[in-house]
Amino acid sequence: MYKKKTSVVGIIITIVILIILVFISNMKVENLSYIENIISSVVMPIQNGITYLKNKITGNSTFFADISELQAENEQLKKRNSELETTLREFEIVKSENSTLKEYLDLSEQYGNYQTKAAYIISKDISNYSNVFVINVGKNDGIEINMTVISEKGLVGHIISVTDTTAKVQTIIDTASTVSSTITTTRDNLICKGTLEEQGLLKATSIPTTANLVVGDVIETSGMGGIYPKGIKIGTIKSVDNTKNIVDRAAIITPAVDFSKVETVLVIL
Amino acid sequence: MKNVMIVIISVIVFLLFYLLQVNFFNWFTIAGVSPNLFVILVLFLGLFAGKRLGIPMGIFLGICLDFFIGKKIGISGIMLGIIGGMAGILDKNFSKDSRITLILMTIGVTVTYELGVYILNHLIIATNFELMAFIKILLIEVIYNVIITIILYPILQKAGYYIEDAFRGNQILTRYF
Repeated sequence: MYKKKTSVVGIIITIVILIILVFISNMKVENLSYIENIISSVVMPIQNGITYLKNKITGNSTFFADISELQAENEQLKKRNSELETTLREFEIVKSENSTLKEYLDLSEQYGNYQTKAAYIISKDISNYSNVFVINVGKNDGIEINMTVISEKGLVGHIISVTDTTAKVQTIIDTASTVSSTITTTRDNLICKGTLEEQGLLKATSIPTTANLVVGDVIETSGMGGIYPKGIKIGTIKSVDNTKNIVDRAAIITPAVDFSKVETVLVIL
Repeated sequence: MKNVMIVIISVIVFLLFYLLQVNFFNWFTIAGVSPNLFVILVLFLGLFAGKRLGIPMGIFLGICLDFFIGKKIGISGIMLGIIGGMAGILDKNFSKDSRITLILMTIGVTVTYELGVYILNHLIIATNFELMAFIKILLIEVIYNVIITIILYPILQKAGYYIEDAFRGNQILTRYF
């Protein structure tokens, strides 16, 4: 019996530790102001209560107002509140529909010269070492292997397999991905690869020795390699890693697309 | 009949784990790293039902996983099959009644699985080889899997003995002599 109790306590402690670990590991240092929020959310209700009591004691006459009158008013307000909540919910639905349609429209306008097919991401990768997702269009919609996938912000990846109704997309941040790219301003060619070292970012290698890399420079597809069309934005240079040997230097690229938030994509047909 | 039911329930648990992995553990991560519940599931099947169920179930569930989200069909299938077989061998040599042994087994199979998948991916689809980054992610994943094993241990043990009774009812005692 004792052993059973201790094992339950052990599991509860482990769960608590797990939750703390998850929160701490995902916390941004600059977001420490939320600790202030927590403290204020604990202290402020007490402070409010004390102020309320103080006001009552110092002779607030409304405290002894007619209770039945207040009850009637309360009922009326509750009714009005529920009506407003219903309207608000309707507005929320319309707003979300509007934003989805706007997103589709923006995407189509931006890449108007390509014939595209809009799609939703329906499943994301479960592995820590790759970055693949599944979209809700397939052979029935004219999707084929090696077609380019983009979003309103830039390049997403390409199709690696297709079923009748779904397709798998290998993103450019996947470790198996290699994209031939160009710096928009200087037209220097380089190779952008997915990397495990900086998850969610790209590593640019094979940089020409004469190339002048500036943080903030825009990188786009070069059109070489046979998969990605020319001129699609990949991202911007975040930092340059200058090695002793200039041939080995690399750069870290921040992708234009935020892969943790992307939900809608376009497949170039 | 009991055996068929156990296999069906295992597949349902696999689907449940898949949904959990895609939806919940996508954001409930330790430093951006999520656990691998499938390794724990196959380890548990191999340990309690033996490698006769562990290997085929590992291969089947792995291939399903490859169909769902894998880049090449068969990589997870091969590695989960190996984990199923490994679990059967581990059961012959170590006690699964001890929590510490089970934790050590989880560490062993997680490392084996991820290392195998990483090497196969590197050989077959030429992924970039970044050893230090891989080890860093693997260490966090192992810790996460161990924590999940500790949490699930009582359920795993109870369900495990039920499976063991169904699959190897008349062999349980004989292996100790």
